[in-house]
Amino acid sequence: MTNWSPTLITRVMLALAIVLSAFPLYWMLVIASRTNADAVAVPPPFLPGGNLGQNIVAVLNNEDAHFLLGLTNSFIVASVVTVSVVIISTLAGFSFANLSFKGRNVLLLAVLLTMAVPLQQMGVVPLYRLMVSLEWTGTLKAVILPYLLNGFGVFLMTQYTRQAVPMELVEAARVDGAATLRIWWNVVLPAVRPGMAVLGINTFMLMWNDFMWPLIVLTPDNPTVQIAITSLNARFSTNYTLIFAGTALSIIPLIAVFVAFGRQIVGGLMEGAVKA
Amino acid sequence: MMNRKRRGGLAAASALAAAALTVASCGSGGTPAASNAPASSAAAEPVTIRVQTFGGGSNFGYKNAITKWNAEHKDIQIKEEHLTDQFEQQYWPQMIQWLQAGNGAGDVVGIDEGGMGLAKAHPEWWADLKEFGLDSRKADFPAWKWENGLTGDGKLFGLGTDIGGMSICYRSDLFKKAGLPAERDKVSALWPDWDAFMKVGQQFQAKVKDTKFADGTNTLYQVVLYQEAAKNGNVTYFDKDNNLIVDKNPAVKAGFDFATKMSQQGLTAKLRNFTDEWAAGTQKGAFATVGCPSWMLGVVSGNAGDGGKGKWDVAAVPGGGGNWGGSWLSVPKQSKHPKEAAAVADYLTSAQTEASIFTDFGNMPSNTAAQQDAAVQSAKNEFFNNAPIGEIFAKSASSLQPVFLGVKHAQVKNAIESVIQGMDDGSVPYGKAWQQLVDDAVKAAG
Amino acid sequence: MSIDTLPTGRLWRSRLDVKVMPYTLVSPYFILFAAFGLFPLAFTLYYSLYDYDLAGTTKWTGLGNYAKLLADEDFWNAVTNTVGMFLLATIPQLLLALFLANALNKRFRLRLAIRMSVLLPLVTSVVAVAVVFTQLFARDWGLVNWILSWFGMDAINWRAERVPSWLAIATMVDWRWTGYNAIIFLAGMQTIPRDLYEAAAIDGASRRRQFWQITLPMLRPTMIFVVLNSTIGGLTLFSEPTTFYNGNVDGGSQGQFQTVAMFVVKQGFREFDYGYAAAAAWLLFLLILIGALINFLFVRRIGGTK
Repeated sequence: MTNWSPTLITRVMLALAIVLSAFPLYWMLVIASRTNADAVAVPPPFLPGGNLGQNIVAVLNNEDAHFLLGLTNSFIVASVVTVSVVIISTLAGFSFANLSFKGRNVLLLAVLLTMAVPLQQMGVVPLYRLMVSLEWTGTLKAVILPYLLNGFGVFLMTQYTRQAVPMELVEAARVDGAATLRIWWNVVLPAVRPGMAVLGINTFMLMWNDFMWPLIVLTPDNPTVQIAITSLNARFSTNYTLIFAGTALSIIPLIAVFVAFGRQIVGGLMEGAVKA
Repeated sequence: MMNRKRRGGLAAASALAAAALTVASCGSGGTPAASNAPASSAAAEPVTIRVQTFGGGSNFGYKNAITKWNAEHKDIQIKEEHLTDQFEQQYWPQMIQWLQAGNGAGDVVGIDEGGMGLAKAHPEWWADLKEFGLDSRKADFPAWKWENGLTGDGKLFGLGTDIGGMSICYRSDLFKKAGLPAERDKVSALWPDWDAFMKVGQQFQAKVKDTKFADGTNTLYQVVLYQEAAKNGNVTYFDKDNNLIVDKNPAVKAGFDFATKMSQQGLTAKLRNFTDEWAAGTQKGAFATVGCPSWMLGVVSGNAGDGGKGKWDVAAVPGGGGNWGGSWLSVPKQSKHPKEAAAVADYLTSAQTEASIFTDFGNMPSNTAAQQDAAVQSAKNEFFNNAPIGEIFAKSASSLQPVFLGVKHAQVKNAIESVIQGMDDGSVPYGKAWQQLVDDAVKAAG
Repeated sequence: MSIDTLPTGRLWRSRLDVKVMPYTLVSPYFILFAAFGLFPLAFTLYYSLYDYDLAGTTKWTGLGNYAKLLADEDFWNAVTNTVGMFLLATIPQLLLALFLANALNKRFRLRLAIRMSVLLPLVTSVVAVAVVFTQLFARDWGLVNWILSWFGMDAINWRAERVPSWLAIATMVDWRWTGYNAIIFLAGMQTIPRDLYEAAAIDGASRRRQFWQITLPMLRPTMIFVVLNSTIGGLTLFSEPTTFYNGNVDGGSQGQFQTVAMFVVKQGFREFDYGYAAAAAWLLFLLILIGALINFLFVRRIGGTK
């Protein structure tokens, strides 16, 4: 079993990976906690200064930055899309994995094909024109709607359900007289929860970081957090501490969630990756 | 009954989704600009007028004027939204998008001279300020500034803010360091023409290594272009029938040639104006001179910050005056408060406001009464070592000639400046730059 | 409910349930897909056949936009950049992720903490991180150039030179995704039966040999997943290069790092030539299909002997 204990090279490599992963975030905190002059100093500062609180307050108090609104909007967008994608995918995944019906394979193939289409990028012109004619530009609806479905989600949940819910279980429930939806609720849902978690985390992160479509369809006074940072960057070009405090602020909520649920997230991600 | 019970699960799930969507529509429904105002049920809520601007440093110089208005007008509050430093690359395309979409633009929006051609061609975008009695303002402006704010069918859509004028901003401390005269009159005497300017640059660069003589190629290119345009029928990229004349107009070639020489001599910091590195470079002392139309003073002082105070000064520009830049204020049709917006635009372009902007920040008024204001004529700028900016800019203001800019000026300008920047930063070879400039201009003009 | 009707009612209902429910369950996906998938695709095609102008005129041009696009140097420049950055980012990323996963698969203390720290980059905001990296790669006072100066190197103009700009952007992409892919690979590795390794060890196979002969081939399904994801993500790259140039879709003074996605946005929302943008979007899709196909064939070859 010596095979499984880490060598020195492995240890060094892991240490390096950790340092490199953390460094840009550390750097962000260093600048966010200093002054503007420090931000462009050569040699650069390597230790945090004492202005973090002050700089973060400055971002939050800056009306033009709409930062809290950006955080809230991103949270709303990511949550709505995540709930929608997870429900739609779990339903469809169950149907594809455990039910037999005419045309199933053709439909599943159609889902697979749609997976390769980056809809929000490909369809950016008609989607934008649609939002203009609905007078929805500048609203969160415009950001949310095109993302409510996700072919990858259906595919993932189909694969996952196949592995996690044996056909015998579904058939046994059917013999007991349970209707399809009841089987979904009582048998399938409890079994596919880890898959849902992975899909949920993935979707949430994807939406949180969505940039191109909100950049086109939203306005700076009703931004998502990515747009808020972009506007901050454009409006306060050399106010580095303000910009960096903003970037730190946009990341802190995510890191907090990550630290709190790290075990579940890492575990879920790994389990989901294998079963799918 | 049975059915409903069975559907419990789905119902719960869809209820969840519905609840989430409700939250979403709440979050997106209200206009945030309005929701910032304190909620009160009895008194009428004050109208918030969003004024969208662009430009570096103190940009339009509205800070003090807005504070003053807001203190005096409880019913109408102005909120300035400075969107970005860059007009052609970011502000204007975004503004066009919002104007076309019917949502997103502010109640009052600033438009650079480069956007006026297109703005004129789209009367449907704008509220007619005549409806709010603002045609009474005609006498306040030079004829060309006023007429450029009229659409083809006679609608008044833009009121003039500032105009160009021309000077060179320079770092007197660094000139001293290079063994050059630092006093503004002597500096002005150093460069009667652009060749002399370049010679001074070489002397400077021989002594000072870590600071470049000029910011980049584009600012100087613009300065020369506008000076030469005045000698070539006051046109730049388009003739007055909107035909592209980039390859035929000697003014363009003159500006390009000078930019090329500056770059080849290694006298530029290779920074493109209105980018963050350029702004940071002003602060860090990456360059010693910038071509300075009046409105550039506020950009330089704003970017340099307090650390630059007294180090910067203003000297005469080689080769005589020019009229680069200057903007207008417009009220988009999509504004929900056009009347109040018009009142704000009226206030921001009034003689008193434009005069105070000049004395506070440096943007030269287009308002003729403001130009003749004694405070303007005698104004000194504290940041620029108390330079007599009134004397430098106000004297020549009335003689400035309008330069005609085509419908797609902003697009072509961006394409051309990208080539000139590319030549400076090494991504376009000097020998190919002119041809590429012409080709890219043709492409941008579509 | 009367006693008589119950059995037949139930039978009827359950038959309906079995017949109809499967379709009902998949219908939300397909209905939404029709609205937000088929509609944009079809209309992108429709728009791509017209010529739009800033002045607001619309003209039928047939396949004109496609012909113009295929002859447009700027478009091919964007394609080259996209593919170049994709390769520059993806190949080292996947290799690093594989080795990192292999390292993570060993036994040591603080396993969860270490796994979490390599995942850390994923739980950040993409634009925020791009802003940080952009400052690190600044020409005049960036940390990277400062470090390079220790080795006597001249300052690199990361945003003006093509390959350096690609490197900077690839670094951002890799920083973000390497740890994530490593965790996915790790999950795959843990499903490989240990007795395979033990048997190989008895046969005298070195660790390196075990990695190439057992681990890699057994990871094939995971690999397909990871590679497909990286391909779609890499070929639609937008956020990092855009933020790298002040939120500007030009991608450098001469489009040194303008990607196809940025090209689409520039044509559609900076130049307002919707038709041209739509045609470019279709070609982007084609590019992704080709990319996915190549990857698929490539991954199939890996461990194809097994």
